[in-house]
Amino acid sequence: MNNKEKYNNAFIVSFDVTEDQLAGLEYQGVPAWDSVGHMGLISEIEDAFDIQFETDDIVDFNSYEKGIELLKKYDVTVE
Amino acid sequence: MEALFNIGAYEIQEYQQNRYPMFFLDVIEEARPGEYARGRKSFTYNEWYFPVHFADEPNVPGMIQIELLAQTFIMTFLTIPEHKGKKTAFLGMNNMRMRKKIVPGDTIVVEATLKSFKRGVATGYVEGRVGGEFALSADIKIGLPDMMREFIPKK
Repeated sequence: MNNKEKYNNAFIVSFDVTEDQLAGLEYQGVPAWDSVGHMGLISEIEDAFDIQFETDDIVDFNSYEKGIELLKKYDVTVE
Repeated sequence: MEALFNIGAYEIQEYQQNRYPMFFLDVIEEARPGEYARGRKSFTYNEWYFPVHFADEPNVPGMIQIELLAQTFIMTFLTIPEHKGKKTAFLGMNNMRMRKKIVPGDTIVVEATLKSFKRGVATGYVEGRVGGEFALSADIKIGLPDMMREFIPKK
């Protein structure tokens, strides 16, 4: 599984969405992405890439695209 | 933190918010806050679900077995004083295995190990045994919504 697949899979597993829903997806864009779902997503991504987000980055992580940008800080490139 | 022993059903409800008819533990035999919990439940024919699951072959529904795993697991972190009594939210379960039909008269012992607890997300492993025989197990992830709200994304 490459990084893009791992990243997408975290959203799919956490929110029960399909791949074609991911582009442009924002916090609260689907019912499952609420405050509880958000931490589930963060946990899935941390496990997938063996990283630990800083608190500020968890709060900044408000969309599918923003997450890709934030992951660069952790030397994870999703493309 | 010191280990706790023989926490009875009424006292368990001071630690967690599950209540009858969705509260399933008889006793937490041992809890090591932040590490481990072992719970026990004896099933009698008087359980509310046996007459309907199934009338001619009563056995414990899978969803109740799963909930029993969860209610034992949350005692690994709700026994940490600052989290006592908080609500919890199921986040996920992986590698679920069920291998035994549980029937009236059986007693299940569930052991839960907390592997990680950070920012209100607890992950660990739970396993249930009936009469010493493996019954079910899973990797489990449960959250504390109160703590998670501190990490709500900016709109």
